[in-house]
Amino acid sequence: METLLINILNGFCYGMLLFIISVGLTIIFGVMGVLNFAHGSFYMLGAYLCLLIVSHTKSFWLAALTAPLLVALLGALMEALLLRPLYGRDVSFQLLLTFGVLLVIDDAVKLIWGAGYHSIEPPQALAGSVNILGNPYPVYSLFIAAIGPCLALLLWFFFHKTVYGKMIRAAAMDREMASAVGINVPLIFSAVFFLGTYLAGLAGVLAAPLRAIGPAMGDNIIIAAFIVVVVGGLGSFPGAFTGAVILGLVESLGIQFVPQIQMAMPYILLAFILLVKPKGLFGRE
Amino acid sequence: MKRFVSFLLLVVLSLSFTGYQTAKAKEDTIKIGSVYIFSGFAATYGQFAKQGLLLAADEINKSGGILGKKVEIYFEDSHAKPAIALRAIRKLVYEKGVNFLIGIDSSSVAKGVVPYIKELKIPLIITHAATPDVTGKQCNKYTFRISVNINQNVMAGAKIAANTKAVRWTTIGPDYAFGHQSWEYFQKYLKELNPKAKFMKTVAFPKIATEDYSPYITAIMAANPDGVFISLWSGDLVNFIKQANKMGFFKKGYTILMSLGAATEVLYALKDQMPLGIWAGTRYWFLANDSPVNKHFVKAYKERYGVYPSYNAQNAYAALYALKYAIEKAGTTDKEAVIKALEGLTFEAPAGKIYIRPEDHQAILNVTWGKTAYDPNYPIRILKPMVIFKGEEVTPPVEETGCKMK
Repeated sequence: METLLINILNGFCYGMLLFIISVGLTIIFGVMGVLNFAHGSFYMLGAYLCLLIVSHTKSFWLAALTAPLLVALLGALMEALLLRPLYGRDVSFQLLLTFGVLLVIDDAVKLIWGAGYHSIEPPQALAGSVNILGNPYPVYSLFIAAIGPCLALLLWFFFHKTVYGKMIRAAAMDREMASAVGINVPLIFSAVFFLGTYLAGLAGVLAAPLRAIGPAMGDNIIIAAFIVVVVGGLGSFPGAFTGAVILGLVESLGIQFVPQIQMAMPYILLAFILLVKPKGLFGRE
Repeated sequence: MKRFVSFLLLVVLSLSFTGYQTAKAKEDTIKIGSVYIFSGFAATYGQFAKQGLLLAADEINKSGGILGKKVEIYFEDSHAKPAIALRAIRKLVYEKGVNFLIGIDSSSVAKGVVPYIKELKIPLIITHAATPDVTGKQCNKYTFRISVNINQNVMAGAKIAANTKAVRWTTIGPDYAFGHQSWEYFQKYLKELNPKAKFMKTVAFPKIATEDYSPYITAIMAANPDGVFISLWSGDLVNFIKQANKMGFFKKGYTILMSLGAATEVLYALKDQMPLGIWAGTRYWFLANDSPVNKHFVKAYKERYGVYPSYNAQNAYAALYALKYAIEKAGTTDKEAVIKALEGLTFEAPAGKIYIRPEDHQAILNVTWGKTAYDPNYPIRILKPMVIFKGEEVTPPVEETGCKMK
């Protein structure tokens, strides 16, 4: 019974990290219709920039403040210079482009930082463990588990209660109409891409103390992010939240109860959801 | 238009001219093809191997080359996929015309590639992939391995385990051939050495590149083992240790063996997050051998690359030297003669004396394990005490390997 409870906690903590990683991806898709393959690479950049800032300033919080901004700036540049010329064209061009950016960032990271592994520790304030059901549990994981819902609430508030959020949703629903009522749609798109890559970078920074930082770490996470986003419904961030929690729990409980097929569980989940609800749980396209 | 065409002709002619020149020069070189993982999460292994090979090639070329010919190495990325590795090898053999092959990190790639080496009729010296099968049931006369394999490393680990008080053993290993075979052999060897040893039903085989190990850590801790045999490696081991640290895994008093825990890339990544007092193995430990050959190698490598050499670097370095000695012994670069010269070759590598067993082409060399310890003279954990096993003590006899080459 204890193991089950701990695994539910494990699944929820991992799920929250997945949510933070995936929410940027789903927002960009929901508003702009662009499936950003390079999302995992921005996540990886966030982690590496965190490594850089922490090794020079010893301050994780400074990294958490600045690294996502730097990643978002790069994202904004990518959107303005590379994506914008492709908006009118076939979707496959955008997919190819974001995949190309993924390859470039992956190799750039390897060129700059080398192919080895790095590791940083959580900040002092969050570095310890608390006793849960008789065993130590990392405080930092609980921190991530708490950040997830806070971020979700913040985003919900932003999108539903602020003018800017409403403008973004308007542009997402109907580009032409929105621009007809005076909304600067290209600017909205750039802002949304900035936000999405900011969230990817933030996810990278938050994940950095929990993971080995190494080349192509973004490639591993992008698959999980896609599953979360598709299960939850492309473009819906309550969907991303739910999808992430479900995937996290499926992983941890799968390992406990069906370890032999555990590797297949996320894909079984994906197939099941798509059969029952093809647009994802909260999908509305 | 005419000007443009003539300019183009000039460019094409000059390019083909230089091509001709280099083709001529190449006959005086020995070309080595080298296939490793250079991209993805395990890219560091290819990088280490390349560094070891380039160091060896430079040393060899500076002292006159092999039989007066310069060594040239061509590198290709296997992407850790057998099909891509095979394509890379064919490219090296047919396009670049390499004489010999050195390489292969991944056990699954090795298993996929070794049958074709026989078709291509080109000698391959494996320096990393550890599955016993490539010098066992898949053995063929073109395949050699200069590095410590699973059986040798695990046998040494089993001897260490037999000397501890642990009775109930479990494992955490990657969910592919390497992880499963490591556990299979660990159980076999430990049972022979300590009949009282018990192996638990609860084991953990997370997939490669698992992000979140916490459910596995929880499961193993709930099963309350005496001993845990961990065959995770590379970034996965770094991830696991980081997460297990925080869940109190290393404070439970388990006897822990990590078959690749003393890999320098893991130790450098973790620095003082690497727990102390863990039994760790590796395929080469830079402090285990006082010989001048090793001292020179460690010093040269550290000066050139800034870090202590990992096993992948040493193994690749030793492989090129093995080729050099074999070619010199044979007096020719003819492949069949070199194969005969490699069989039974004994030489001094940084890892110590290496003997290439003729019956299965597996190298017999010392295997080092040790307990992770702190030493102010080194930026990483070192092994203290070190336990050095002689190759003959830990290598299974040819009859047991399943190799039927002779």
